[in-house]
Amino acid sequence: MERIQCQWCKAQNPPEAKTCETCGAPLDARNLVTDSGWREAPRLRDMTEFAFGSSSCQVEGEIVPVAEMNLGDGDSVFFEHHIMLWKDEHVPLSSINTGGGMKRMLGGMPFVVTAAHGPGRIAFSRDATGEVVVLPLHPSMELDVRGHSFLVASHSISYSFVQIKGLANVLHGGEGMYMDRFVTQDQPGLLLLHGYGNVFERTLGDGERILVEPGGFLYKDSSVAMNVAQQNIKTGLLRHGMYLAEMVGPGRVGIQSMYVHHHT
Amino acid sequence: MATYTCAYCRQPSEGATTTCPHCGAPVDVRARVSDSGWEEQPAIPDMARIQFGRSTCQIEGAYVPVADMGLSADDWVYFSHHVLLWTEPSVRMDTMPLAGGWNRMYAGMPLVMMRAAGPGHIALSHDDPGETVAVPLAPGQAVDVREHRFLVATGAVEYQWLDAGVWYATQNGDDTEYHYPLGRFVDRFHAPSAPGLLLLHAPGNVFIRDLQQGQTICVQPSALLYKDPTVGMQLHLEYPGGAMRWGRYMTASLWLRMWGPGRVAVHSVFERPEPVGGNITYNSPVTSKSW
Repeated sequence: MERIQCQWCKAQNPPEAKTCETCGAPLDARNLVTDSGWREAPRLRDMTEFAFGSSSCQVEGEIVPVAEMNLGDGDSVFFEHHIMLWKDEHVPLSSINTGGGMKRMLGGMPFVVTAAHGPGRIAFSRDATGEVVVLPLHPSMELDVRGHSFLVASHSISYSFVQIKGLANVLHGGEGMYMDRFVTQDQPGLLLLHGYGNVFERTLGDGERILVEPGGFLYKDSSVAMNVAQQNIKTGLLRHGMYLAEMVGPGRVGIQSMYVHHHT
Repeated sequence: MATYTCAYCRQPSEGATTTCPHCGAPVDVRARVSDSGWEEQPAIPDMARIQFGRSTCQIEGAYVPVADMGLSADDWVYFSHHVLLWTEPSVRMDTMPLAGGWNRMYAGMPLVMMRAAGPGHIALSHDDPGETVAVPLAPGQAVDVREHRFLVATGAVEYQWLDAGVWYATQNGDDTEYHYPLGRFVDRFHAPSAPGLLLLHAPGNVFIRDLQQGQTICVQPSALLYKDPTVGMQLHLEYPGGAMRWGRYMTASLWLRMWGPGRVAVHSVFERPEPVGGNITYNSPVTSKSW
């Protein structure tokens, strides 16, 4: 039977589908790719719904979108507690210790994430104009995400964090020196991010390099190396040189257009 | 042969594309003019291209648009360093020092501009939801821009900064505090001999109007995006009428009074104005009105 492949997440869909059943991307809209090779993340239509496990997610609104989860029995999701918008009263919550408490706290990162367990509904949103980026993760994938950009992830994804070696605070707008790492083992998972402003993705070839303002970095495949690249440019009196993040392929890099500026 | 004149940038083109090649405004939309005469600047469509020199600028995204400059080897642009989003390693970057460093630093303005020369791509964006506005400048043309609204300009555009000339001082005990509702400085961009391209970032939506000779309008100072240098401006205070008035010792509304001839552009997101009490001790030239 003929199937339609989603250009964003590569999942197969029935021919009558208008949006991808796995990530919600419109199937009847053209890819928007810039001359320089960046692809716009698909703009999810208001009220788009897609499935994961025995649950579903509906994305509502367009300026500050809400991700509303309808969790099936036995399914759960985890998130940072302050992004909960509302929930059914009977949906139980639990906490997961991420480890590295003091270090995480010093890095401005939460050291506890919260989990919600089905059945029932719970909704999440961040506090700024932007886009929900839906990243279904196939088994055995690793994705690194800038701190405080993670919206919600399904329970089959394991969560850890990585220290950005040698980069200290310069790479995260002064907010921290940790990146969230999401890993799938033998099960697929669903990861939702909130990108501030518009989100663009580019796939770097092996050894291909791009310099990104650190505050604009959103996510990358763990195969992409991220190094600090100091530019020999003074941006003011008594200031040190400017730092950019050098991303080296192979793999995907996602950026956001409303970035957090680091203070140099 | 030029057959189309863009309603927004006023530059002629062949009209063969769906967007103006000079400013990216769509050519196939009707003008949206309010009853009061403000014309809504249409957002540059996602992925629209603007031509300058042998280079192009592609506007990408809708909430916080990115200006992706594809620079040829002959072209260069300059910008404030904090708007840089990404660059290809082939782009050569250096700094363009500006005069008056201490005053600029005191006013919260960047001390240097960054210069980027082709070949290669470099992308820039601001950090507010809003619109990218392209202002092509014909030879000899200049425009005055409110501080912190500048995104990027091409090498043919000269940059100066001027005192805004809109301020007042208040006395609180022994302390005198100076207030600059428009910012201390106004950026002036001028294309002396060759056409240039100026890109601005405006929070919210953008509206423009042409003021006739002597025609006036009062706008929120922090809503000003740009104006023609021919447009004059000064501080304007209004004291509301009604039972709760105690002479001049009451809160006034503070406006930027502008008069033509020339273009004025405003954006719809602005800072909440500070309340102005009766303790103004010094001020720039001002008009006032008590209702």
